[in-house]
Amino acid sequence: MRCNYACGSHDSLSRRSFLGGTAAGALSMLGFQGMTQATAAKQLAAQQKQVVVFWLSGGVSQLETWDPKPGTETGGPFLSIPTSAPGVHISELLPYTAQQMHHLALVRGINTKENNHAKGAYIMQTGRKEQPGFAFPYLGSTFSHHLAPPNSPLPGYISVGAGGSSAESTFLGPRHAPLVLSGGRAPNNLGRHDALSEERDLLRRKLRSQVSQRFEQKRKTAHTEVYNESFDQAAALMSRSDIFDFSKFSDKDLERYGKHDFGRHCLMARQLVEKGVTFVKVGHTNYDTHSENFNFHIEQLGEFDRPFATFISDLYDRGLLEHTLIICMCEFGRTPRINSRIGRDHWGSAWSIALGGTGIKGGAVSGKTNETGTKVIDREVNGGHLFHTYYQAVGLDSTEEFYPNGQPIAKADPKTEPIKEILA
Amino acid sequence: MFRPNMRVYVSLLIVFSCPTLAPHLVCANSTTKADEPLVASKPTLPVARRISSLIDEQIQSGTKDYAKLASPVCSDAEFVRRVYLDLTGRIPTVTQTRAFLDDNHPDKRAALVDQLLETPEYARHISQRLDVMLMERLRKKYINVTLWEEYLRDAVAENKPLDQLVREILAADGSGKGQQAEARFYLARDGDVNELTRDISRIFLGADLTCAQCHDHPEVADWKQDHYYGISAFLVRSFVFTDKKKKQTVFAEKAEGEVKYESVFEVRDKTSKGPETTLPVVFNGPKVAEPAFKKGEEYNVKPAKDVRPVPKYSRRAQLGHALTSSQNRRFARTMANRLWAMVMGRGIVHPLDADHSDNPPSHPELLELLTDEFTASGYDLKWYLRELVLSKTYQRSSSNELFASKSDQELSDAQFAHAILKPLTPEQFSRSVLEATGQAEVYRQSLKDKLSEAALRKNLVGYERQFVSLFGGLPGEPVEGFETTADQSLYLSNNGSIQGILSPRSGNTADRVLKIPADQPEQIAEELYLSVLSRRPDATETQEVAELLAGKTGATRNNMVSDLVWALMMSSEFRFNH
Repeated sequence: MRCNYACGSHDSLSRRSFLGGTAAGALSMLGFQGMTQATAAKQLAAQQKQVVVFWLSGGVSQLETWDPKPGTETGGPFLSIPTSAPGVHISELLPYTAQQMHHLALVRGINTKENNHAKGAYIMQTGRKEQPGFAFPYLGSTFSHHLAPPNSPLPGYISVGAGGSSAESTFLGPRHAPLVLSGGRAPNNLGRHDALSEERDLLRRKLRSQVSQRFEQKRKTAHTEVYNESFDQAAALMSRSDIFDFSKFSDKDLERYGKHDFGRHCLMARQLVEKGVTFVKVGHTNYDTHSENFNFHIEQLGEFDRPFATFISDLYDRGLLEHTLIICMCEFGRTPRINSRIGRDHWGSAWSIALGGTGIKGGAVSGKTNETGTKVIDREVNGGHLFHTYYQAVGLDSTEEFYPNGQPIAKADPKTEPIKEILA
Repeated sequence: MFRPNMRVYVSLLIVFSCPTLAPHLVCANSTTKADEPLVASKPTLPVARRISSLIDEQIQSGTKDYAKLASPVCSDAEFVRRVYLDLTGRIPTVTQTRAFLDDNHPDKRAALVDQLLETPEYARHISQRLDVMLMERLRKKYINVTLWEEYLRDAVAENKPLDQLVREILAADGSGKGQQAEARFYLARDGDVNELTRDISRIFLGADLTCAQCHDHPEVADWKQDHYYGISAFLVRSFVFTDKKKKQTVFAEKAEGEVKYESVFEVRDKTSKGPETTLPVVFNGPKVAEPAFKKGEEYNVKPAKDVRPVPKYSRRAQLGHALTSSQNRRFARTMANRLWAMVMGRGIVHPLDADHSDNPPSHPELLELLTDEFTASGYDLKWYLRELVLSKTYQRSSSNELFASKSDQELSDAQFAHAILKPLTPEQFSRSVLEATGQAEVYRQSLKDKLSEAALRKNLVGYERQFVSLFGGLPGEPVEGFETTADQSLYLSNNGSIQGILSPRSGNTADRVLKIPADQPEQIAEELYLSVLSRRPDATETQEVAELLAGKTGATRNNMVSDLVWALMMSSEFRFNH
């Protein structure tokens, strides 16, 4: 069964895509001139940071997850439970996650003022409202740009079961567009054809690029650069095809994460983080619960809870959590009011997300909604605040501009600031 | 807080529908025998006006300093490749390229265009472009896709007026013998009224009314909920019906049913006066009035269990007429704009489904002219495409000395002062790869007397399908603009089906190149470049080929030639129609 969208706009870009790119190499220089020693050191430390986003597409209900209101008119049937973080209660639909709460912080005061899937997704993934004529990069591309080591053969941004489009990287160029693993498997054709030696392959690629360069003189090159870069990316992937070997998970791991797609995607994400991929996006869907909200949440969160919690605990055990930021987000929350179809509708004005790992104060809570969850009554924040917070968490100064194309771009909305109370 | 009070369906939508794509196919070499005749058809000789020079005047007057900014008219080599790709869906064979380059007739471009418009490949290619425009690569549902493709191909081959084609498709219910294929438009969308409303508005009216389903469009003042439900009203009584006895699925209709709508904003703000309804209407045209029947007399065949009802009056039957009527200018305008974008690389209104007052056309008078003339020609596809490709605007070079010194703004694509690079569609790409490697020629030679467009295509269609699955985007979301994926570049680099057609085989490109004596490097380089890039090499390129092959013999030489074919074929020069 699928949920009905209340608006024709669709939230996920499902083109499997990855781009080749502009000669962004030169642009990804972080420009150390004019910085203090300390800042420069911080920048360098940030180079090893990684980010994982769990994207719950459709808009998970904050009332059935991070901000339950049991016993109120709008709270629905579920109870709240205590967690491993003293004083923090979350919905009983997340019992495993509750055990990891000491690694996670909650932001309960989000007001993005946006109830449209596509626009909400844009705000949450770029930190800004859509502006006609100017496209900001999505956070996967942004953090690939800021954090991925220059000249790394690894893709900086991989999407697992979450779709993605080459358009996400905008002016940061194809190098930072998502590599989308469709069907939870490695890309095909990763190995060089038997008929070809490495030497031959190198030479023909070089020739390919010379022929292209000759053609591109005196022509518009926006598209041709994308095409050329895609061949470089292919070569880079071939050199590191080991990261895509998803055949070696132990039975025990498969058991712990679950045999469903999402469990497998979390395991894949764990491997990608271990192999050093800078940004990984993992998708889980079917949260657009305009009808049967509670049954859907039992079912979907029942699938989500354990692998998500296991992922956090595995990263912690392996020492990866101290330099990996984890964000669990979606395009908006769901209405406190329960509609006539026992559903909850779109709700951008008072909702929550969870984040944890590097730079985040485990167990912290920022923001508060009123008793029925209809309004933020303390520490209201929007996409801008969240972006400042992500930047700061991975050790980057979010108030500085960066110069991807020689033009200064604010990293995050200058009218907002980081949510300091959840930063470590 | 509000409660959406309407049923809505999840559907994948593209924000910009783009009729890019097309396919195309095959052909026989101009030097081979005539192809089997297609449907009985008389070539339509252009009797309508010549408008290509009017197009150029309008384009020139649309940009200050146009003459200073415009690229020169393209070379013969650029032209022959471009027009083959646009009209037949593939690069020319090496023989065809040579013949055109060596032809000294002053009007050889017009002559080539006329010749191409009469080939079976033209019918295949343009029908595939129309297919993608209409169906956006939706998968098979109820209707045999091959029959649908043949129906479109025959329509293009006999130059059926485009408005008639659309009327036939929108009148089809899939029940009649011989017209089942036409019902694919409705049935592939499962007869879903919202999906059909959205697609009909986008494809035929240049209006993405998606947001007008639940309320007046929030960003486009011109588009109202009334427009959305005016179209829906034609379809609201229709439903998919499966006749268990006949084992046939058709698009049936009832005699009753009205659209009901109210704005979710008004519901939220408690200002709603309750649900409204409307008679069928296309945009701001006249409402389609309907006859009244006495109660109990509405049907020719009354509804009953397992029986397909047949009402005396069909609302849906009015849709094609209302849509293509002279009272609805949007249809002709949208079609004229879509076909323009197909060959010019960008719409005069762009995006193609955003035709409203806040997004004016780059050349308003030109779009008016094209709309009028296309209508006056009787929606004559062949005539229209011919006029477009004979214009200087179409024949500008894609290279321009000024790109280095001027900003994208100053030399924007919307000025049509240079040819826009058009990514090859998956079908064009696959067919051109088969032509460049000479694999198509190998098949032609093996078919001998049995050679025809259809027979050759049978040999090539496997490649076409591979390319469509890799480069064609998702069903319902064809690729917009230009994107690459890891899957694509890895396929082009490593897949055996590409590697397998590079090596010498009797009659293919590597074989022809290798047969040229090693002491004739100019001929070798020319054969390579003409075969793959449809042009002669310059001195540097000739030199490069000579150096790469110098002293190489046997297997090493074979490999080098195969690698050269691959390098040229994977270059950006090949990937785009320039």
